[in-house]
Amino acid sequence: MTEPTLQIPEGWAERAPEGWDWTPLWEAVENGGHIFTDEFVQNSIDIGIDPRTILDDGLFPGFNLQGDRFSEQIIFIPEMLITARAMKAGLALIRPLLAAKAEKPLGVFVIGTVLGDMHDIGQSIVTIMLENAGFKIINLGTDVHPDKFIETAVAEGADLIGFSALLSTTVYYQKVTIEEFEKAGHRNKVKILIGGAPTTQEWADEIGADGWGRDAIAAVHLAKRLIAEPREAWA
Amino acid sequence: MSKTVSVTFVTADQQEKTVIGNVGDSMLELARQAGMEIDATCGGRGRCRSCRVKALSGAVPPPSVADTVQLGHEEVQERFRLSCQTKVIDDCTLLLAPPREETGHKILSTGRKFDEDEDFGLDSGILKTKITAKAPTEEHHQTSDIDEIISALEAKTSIKVSSTLRLEVLRKVPVALRKDFGELTVTTFNDEIIDVEPGDTSDKKYGIAFDIGTTSIVGSLMDLQTGEELATVGNVNPQAVYGGDLMSRIAYAMNDTKKLQTLRAKALNAVNDHIKAACKQAGVSTEHVYKVVVVGNTCMHHVFLGIDVTYLGLAPYAPSMQAPIVVPAGDLPLKAAPNARVCLLPVIAGFVGADTIACVLATRIYDSEEPRALVDIGTNGEVVMGRRGKLMACSAPAGPALEGGQIRHGMRGSVGAIEKVTIDDDLSFETIGDAPAIGICGSGLIDAIAKMLAAGVVDPSGRFRIKKRDDLPPALRDRLRNDAEGKAEFVLAWASESGKQEDITLTQTDLRQLQLAKGAIFSGIVTLQNVMKLPNEAFAEIMLCGGFGNYISIESSIDIRLLPDIPAEKVTYFGNAALLGAQMALLSETERDRARTLAGEIEHVALAAHPDFQDIFVDAMAFMEPAEA
Repeated sequence: MTEPTLQIPEGWAERAPEGWDWTPLWEAVENGGHIFTDEFVQNSIDIGIDPRTILDDGLFPGFNLQGDRFSEQIIFIPEMLITARAMKAGLALIRPLLAAKAEKPLGVFVIGTVLGDMHDIGQSIVTIMLENAGFKIINLGTDVHPDKFIETAVAEGADLIGFSALLSTTVYYQKVTIEEFEKAGHRNKVKILIGGAPTTQEWADEIGADGWGRDAIAAVHLAKRLIAEPREAWA
Repeated sequence: MSKTVSVTFVTADQQEKTVIGNVGDSMLELARQAGMEIDATCGGRGRCRSCRVKALSGAVPPPSVADTVQLGHEEVQERFRLSCQTKVIDDCTLLLAPPREETGHKILSTGRKFDEDEDFGLDSGILKTKITAKAPTEEHHQTSDIDEIISALEAKTSIKVSSTLRLEVLRKVPVALRKDFGELTVTTFNDEIIDVEPGDTSDKKYGIAFDIGTTSIVGSLMDLQTGEELATVGNVNPQAVYGGDLMSRIAYAMNDTKKLQTLRAKALNAVNDHIKAACKQAGVSTEHVYKVVVVGNTCMHHVFLGIDVTYLGLAPYAPSMQAPIVVPAGDLPLKAAPNARVCLLPVIAGFVGADTIACVLATRIYDSEEPRALVDIGTNGEVVMGRRGKLMACSAPAGPALEGGQIRHGMRGSVGAIEKVTIDDDLSFETIGDAPAIGICGSGLIDAIAKMLAAGVVDPSGRFRIKKRDDLPPALRDRLRNDAEGKAEFVLAWASESGKQEDITLTQTDLRQLQLAKGAIFSGIVTLQNVMKLPNEAFAEIMLCGGFGNYISIESSIDIRLLPDIPAEKVTYFGNAALLGAQMALLSETERDRARTLAGEIEHVALAAHPDFQDIFVDAMAFMEPAEA
């Protein structure tokens, strides 16, 4: 393993005003300074930098660096959460501008913790990561009944669905919920991802999920891959 | 049909068992069928190395990813495999490793003697009365044997026999009444006759208190006449082969009555064996054991009674029963104590069980003028907080890391475990039994982290300071290194000074596991503090309960934020309070009755459902208080 390093976006200087420097923002996101991030991003918008450029050149480098470190277990949940919070602060300012420019989300992602399970820390990290990556997220929270998942998927025309389970006892409901999608005739219209501490790739295979993410970063990669795969259209 | 294979399991002490299985069967499953006990701390999910075996002969499949991750390339090449992940492909002989080293296993029994306690009266509810009764002589207006016994008993005591006698007692009546010419001893539990024997045995009445924990079972045989402890027994809970933590165990038995019965049989057999062993040790007859008090967490409690635990594993984790219950031994069956009444203390919630009630009894926190807290550090950490008239309880799922589970070189507190660590220019350690180090136990882990933080080996976020290793003294710098995969680790004991042929290390993943574990317990304490509005300064005392709590360093526990920052002298070791509470309920019906009242009064706080819990938990994972942002 090599220690993750900051990936400086190629050609950023050409996209920024003369003498501009993103370094303070990269560091602010990396260190979770959400107030600084908020102010810096607002300032960037005010002087007229393109929102897509702010996102790609200003916000993502520090965020991706922490994401890679999280994946390698160099940093842990608390550090990842404060970076995610800073990222969210910046994104809150950028997202309306992107929407105004008619930039479409990558896809609609319905996420929730399965029936019987009240845990949401891991799930909330995944949610922020996916949002940051450009998905439209509908988070159903915890202890979600299979019917609720199905109802929401139909109403929102979901592309991807994620079932989180944090207990050895509740992973069972990942299986049940997938079976319910099959019974309802919607299984092939969505890609189903599962995750959570007790889950494994073998479990995902056994219950017929489309993919398993070891952590939030893996979930984002997986979501980006699965969104490109063909599936039946919603009627 | 699949091909059958013969698989032989060998233990380190040369015990052997062979089973016939099919190609494709899991090695772990076959070992269980063979009656060989392999710990599967992670519940057989390939997440730890406790179930590893070494193939001595025969073909085994190539290593899986889980094998390589957990065991490393070297061990895999030496034909080590995780038995939970590996399927048999041919006849083979498998060495179970590591040996189950329970000799010198530190399991605490009680910490206090009752004769020192003035407030405590002996009223076990068990009375043995010697009576003289005549066998019926009238043939015309016949009375029965039992009527003669009851009237003699009621004439001599204030007992009003109320309930019907159980069949096993009735069967003893004819002989008991006649064998010693009408002199017999009647044993009652409150107003029920539970035994009759010929002759005078009124000075022989015993009872046993048990704490059935997730990790270990301990018992104490007591003389109900004098309150004296006659013998203590204890060992690991044999259910551990089905998962180290409660959730794994519930998952195993979920929706499957047969598996529930398997778990139940493990517990019953262990308790039966312990009763026999304790009585043998003390030289008393198991027939004279009349009262057994059992405490345990709600899952252990339900399993012991054979009640489905499926719904304990699913929100809102509701118990099937809360009230105390008394069961005749024959109904369980607890064959080793055929005449006993088995009393289970009440439970508070799905994860706050009868063991917690027993701790409350033992610590008398219910009678404290000033705010106190009791913390039972274990796979599930229970916290009870408050003062007279207002007590709250919660349960924090810490997992097994603090007891050495799911830690690369973690082990329970037995011989050869590093239990104390000192760091100055270099690191030194002490092991249990002064044996060469073979691993590190929970108290050693807590100590090691505290010292590593102070020495700058680890930063407050739990990350190894590998980039700043050059700032460390040379000897420490050498210990902090990257492993073969480039992940940071810290050497606690070099191969040359260890009882293994490898360095004993603490890995970054280990630190993360410990952060989750101690963070869970710390956030349980902080959440109750917030709910009850009790700042650190308010506490008169924090009492550490449980076998594990007694061995940890209080200073180190405060340093790593396992315990709140209060003066160390206000933190006290209480010992195995659950067993002590069970002993109190054994010796005193007043105390057993108090448990019932307390269970109704203690307010349960569900952590996961508490709105501030996530923030508190995230904050609690850091080893030091985060600086203000």
